[in-house]
Amino acid sequence: MLQTDAYVMLSMVLFVLGAMGVMLRRNAILVFMSVELMLNAANLALVAFARQWGNSDGHLFVFFVITVAAAEVAVGLALIVAIFRTRRNINIDELNQLQG
Amino acid sequence: MATEVWLFILVGAIAVVAAVMLLLSQNAVHAALFLIINMGCIAFLFLLLNAAFLAMVQLAVYAGAIMVLFLFVIMLLGAERPGGRSPYGWLAPGAVVLALIFLVTVALALSQGGISDLQAPPAHPQLRVANLAADAGPVALRLNGSTVGDNLPRGSVQGYEALPPGEYELEVRAVDGRTLLSDSLALEAGQRYTALIYGTGAPELSLVPELAEAGSLRVFNGWGDAVWLVDFASELSDEDTVVLMADIAPGTLSDPLTVAEDTDFSNGALVNDLNEVLARTGAGMTLDALEGGSALMVLAPLRRFEGTLEATVDLLVTPSKASFGSPADIGLKLFNQYMLPMQIVALLLLVAMVGAIVLTHRPKVAPELERARLGRRRVSRPLTSAIASQLGQGGGSQDPDAAALPPAGTQER
Repeated sequence: MLQTDAYVMLSMVLFVLGAMGVMLRRNAILVFMSVELMLNAANLALVAFARQWGNSDGHLFVFFVITVAAAEVAVGLALIVAIFRTRRNINIDELNQLQG
Repeated sequence: MATEVWLFILVGAIAVVAAVMLLLSQNAVHAALFLIINMGCIAFLFLLLNAAFLAMVQLAVYAGAIMVLFLFVIMLLGAERPGGRSPYGWLAPGAVVLALIFLVTVALALSQGGISDLQAPPAHPQLRVANLAADAGPVALRLNGSTVGDNLPRGSVQGYEALPPGEYELEVRAVDGRTLLSDSLALEAGQRYTALIYGTGAPELSLVPELAEAGSLRVFNGWGDAVWLVDFASELSDEDTVVLMADIAPGTLSDPLTVAEDTDFSNGALVNDLNEVLARTGAGMTLDALEGGSALMVLAPLRRFEGTLEATVDLLVTPSKASFGSPADIGLKLFNQYMLPMQIVALLLLVAMVGAIVLTHRPKVAPELERARLGRRRVSRPLTSAIASQLGQGGGSQDPDAAALPPAGTQER
């Protein structure tokens, strides 16, 4: 059986790539997709630990994370559509009206 | 190396490459397709980790529903074009440095921490109590002085209860508060036990640990004589009678008998050494409900109203532990332990749905504003002449405003 270490390391690499996507991409939809990638990486770590402990509570947690991600995507994409309607643009560097 | 390692390396590499391409691709549609590849790889890794149900959920919900939503919005907004250069030039090198620091930290923690050597603590032992006493009537159960069951009638079973391992003092009381029996039980971690209360007069207690292998049948003899478990294949002749278990001494447990899934015990019986039938196993006592679990058949006396003793057979089925990560396992936990979180998440989904509708809803302009706007435009030349021509009046013969406005007002209502 493959060690849990390997899965956690892969999960961390994917998480970091997702975090870099959030920092570097300027298109709001791509930022959002990077957040999904980070959630997926965390799910992978949860499932790996669930197998190691032989306890399927981790699977339940992943199930809830997927559900919450679905809700988040629904609201987030609606926000992006609403912003695009008023600004004709979803570049996050230009959405700075709240800046002091 | 084992196949699993090769599969992990291959699929993990595809997942990482897809994530890098998501980071680098200029076209948002390409990025979404790379993310779908990444999610497919993660679903495969879930399969490697014995999480079959989650792998299917991942494919259906993430790679299916959520990514379709993403692609839909990308195409709707026409946002697949690249965004241009960031005004913050220091961000890219800063992010790379932070990512490297994070990865080095995690690698150090993983190599030093020894996560893979951690062992899960063994599960708590589980205990259930069956009241099969002949004369006791309903009983109350007290474990180490605290009540765990109340008014448990004869022939019923108190369900499994998880307890920390150790020594317990089980006290059985009658309805009037008399202590019928008191005995100590030693419960070991990771084991499931059935405590049987049986016998005439002052009842006795027997603690039966569950077998590790599934699909077996055991008989506990709570009767005074040795018994045989036989299967009368035919009611009419004794020729086909099969002795399944022989000479089970009083107060003991038989050796396990491996039974097929659909074994029919409706013609079975427990007989004593004089070949007298003590109890029939009864119609409908089939073992098709075992589903990988095991069964315990208990022969115990029952006091009739007229004072005679009669042997009864009870079948206590031990359900199998649902296999790790299977839909049955997840479903059992979801509808038992995690009922409230599931309801909350369902509510959250509902709120998100309503929120998405509210956010993207384009409100209708108020009627008064709309009328004022239309009224102003109606003064202009082309529209009024068009309305006037619809009414069958010559455009040039009258004052255009006076002719056009009243019928236009009626049309609006």
